[in-house]
Amino acid sequence: MKPMNLVVVTAGLGKPSTTRLLADRLAEGAVRSLAGERTVETQVVELRDLAVDIANNLVTGFPGARLRDALEAVRRADGLIAVTPIFTASYSGLFKSFFDVIDNSALDGKPVLVAATGGTARHSLALEHALRPLFAYLRAIVVPTAVYAASEDWGTAGDAATGDLATRIARASGELAGLMSHRPAAAGRSDTVVPFEQQLAALRP
Amino acid sequence: MQFGIFTVGDVTMDPVTGRMPSEHERIKAMVAIALKAEEVGLDVFATGEHHNPPFVPSSPTTMLGHIAARTERLILSTATTLITTGDPVKIAEDFAMLQHLADGRVDLMLGRGNTGPVYPWFGKDIRQGIPLAIENYALLHRLWREDVVDWEGRFRTPLQSFTATPRPLDGVPPFVWHGSIRSPEIAEQAAYYGDGFFANNIFWPKEHFIQLVGLYRERFAHYGHGTPEQAVVGLGGQVFMRARSQDAVREFRPYFDNAPVYGHGPSLEEFTEQTPLTVGSPQEVIDKTLTFRDSFGDYQRQLFLMDHAGLPLKTVLEQLDILGAEVVPVLRREFAAGRPAAVPDGPTHEALLAAAARPVPASS
Repeated sequence: MKPMNLVVVTAGLGKPSTTRLLADRLAEGAVRSLAGERTVETQVVELRDLAVDIANNLVTGFPGARLRDALEAVRRADGLIAVTPIFTASYSGLFKSFFDVIDNSALDGKPVLVAATGGTARHSLALEHALRPLFAYLRAIVVPTAVYAASEDWGTAGDAATGDLATRIARASGELAGLMSHRPAAAGRSDTVVPFEQQLAALRP
Repeated sequence: MQFGIFTVGDVTMDPVTGRMPSEHERIKAMVAIALKAEEVGLDVFATGEHHNPPFVPSSPTTMLGHIAARTERLILSTATTLITTGDPVKIAEDFAMLQHLADGRVDLMLGRGNTGPVYPWFGKDIRQGIPLAIENYALLHRLWREDVVDWEGRFRTPLQSFTATPRPLDGVPPFVWHGSIRSPEIAEQAAYYGDGFFANNIFWPKEHFIQLVGLYRERFAHYGHGTPEQAVVGLGGQVFMRARSQDAVREFRPYFDNAPVYGHGPSLEEFTEQTPLTVGSPQEVIDKTLTFRDSFGDYQRQLFLMDHAGLPLKTVLEQLDILGAEVVPVLRREFAAGRPAAVPDGPTHEALLAAAARPVPASS
């Protein structure tokens, strides 16, 4: 059986990056959950490395070779983990710009786990108010648990309602794995054209 | 194979001198560029159609009629004529008139236009872009081929016993290209009618256009107009040349960096690597253009964008001298070498007239 493709898109800017750290934890969790049934190939897309390519795509309307490869990897993925730092009450501009240049059908029906990092837990609903609608627009299937990691989460136990960070990571990555294993293989690009007679007939008064 | 130039008709500040030409200067410059194209031995001049500043060519057949009176051989064309916002009745009449005035040296490239606000200025809805392109052309196609047309459609008032005048010269409609940057529907439309397909490939990587041209060729054969290799393909290109490559790069870089379309984005080096733009010696332009055949197969028309990014007229005319003297003669020779006999030449009125006169085998 072919291995599944898990693609991780991370918009962290630091090196090392807390956002990347969270992304890696989520990816490990998903791979572990799928381990019994499928092998998983994980590819990480660091948007920091593509920042200029993304800006160039906005200006020229087409992706350069490196960005094209990253967009294609996301399009073909069986599952996607998308992680951004929260800037000014929402996803970072770099994160949004990447999903602005992706083909708007590339995520159709794709299981997506959204996660974010931030300095304070007070921004955690940005996941629900910004990321979830973004991926709903792209017709992705967003798993129920979105993972927010504030600075304090890395060193403290969670509250009674949601559990600590490790618990949330395990729950979210398990949900992603569940959707991935029940999903038919990612479809190839379909460029079928509607025959011209059909296009003409649709216009007859 | 035909070689020519196409112009957008933008009024753009020269970023080196800071000088902004007037609309009058730009319009006269476009005419001077067309006359130069004939002088240096090119085959085609094509103008854009735009209805918003900073562009000047809102009335292409007026300009082309003027150029027709001042040239002898040049084919006058468009890039593109807006089939969505233009009334097909008026397009049929304007281009038939131009055809008579220019003794047949006329064809046109249809496009949808991508500027949203233009549609309502002409009473149209951009959401209907593709259906407008399909219905309007279906009518235009009939108006040039049937003397009396009864017609009813979705986007304009019906026609009863209507005759578009004048009738096309010698009863042969102008050749039509369908221009597209991204729509497979337009490639399909061009294939259905057996018309030409112009892939305006100048701003994007070739992979995308290889798919689009491949689809057009395959569907052209599907509809019985010939083999895929006989489909009529046009391609764009944009170049800036000096005898020495480094001089071309040095002189063009400020124009590139501030160009309206791609400026302030990728570097000149990145953009030339990814798109047809060539900045260098005439030999580099020859080499790059010849690779188009490897990607797209033998084709019929190559149009270069030369008056781009605010280049002054004097420089554009120098560029045309180099194009006509050093580049196109070599390209003609190289593209002719190894070209299969079954691949048609670029379309002309004379060739279409001869094809129309050829007896069609009786079917019963």
